Amino acid sequence: MQLCLAHKWIAEQFIIANSMKHVVKILTLVVAITAFWIGLLQTSVVPCSHTWLLPIYFIVSLGCYGLLMVGIGLICFPTCPQEALLLQQDIKEAKEYLKRNKIDVGSD
Amino acid sequence: MELADRAVGFLLSFISLSIFTYYTFWVIILPFVDSDHFIHQYFLPQEYAILIPVFAGVVLLCFLCIFIGFVTLKSKKKKA
Repeated sequence: MQLCLAHKWIAEQFIIANSMKHVVKILTLVVAITAFWIGLLQTSVVPCSHTWLLPIYFIVSLGCYGLLMVGIGLICFPTCPQEALLLQQDIKEAKEYLKRNKIDVGSD
Repeated sequence: MELADRAVGFLLSFISLSIFTYYTFWVIILPFVDSDHFIHQYFLPQEYAILIPVFAGVVLLCFLCIFIGFVTLKSKKKKA
């Protein structure tokens, strides 16, 4: 019991640490981009009106990335037709078995 | 069904990639091109680079809110 709990705790810690790493990565990226943007605004290498477009550019690219990920997910959506057939068979068998033992499983 | 899903996925990826490419050209590269270059006639003025995304975002948000409200109302009606 104790060992099992310890295992679970370690796994949870691992998951938390992993997600924390992710958060840190994203935050670092955001801070770096913001610093770059503020630097551009301060030094005004590029005209100010163009520098103001940068955050919107990042939002648009984020949206594009999300759309792309959805598209890729739809393209490579894993389906297993053989397993689906087996599952339907299992369901049929179970329903028959339950019916034989006079357990109500609803219509059909 | 599976083919239709795949086609929709391909379409979505294509749309997102083309939007990304066009917007990158528009916002990042165009400021460094001379203003009398012929490429400028293929792009709208710079203000629209802000206006269109903001407008699209507002429309998307409105659509999302309406959709969520619609679904909530429907589920409430079903419960009653």
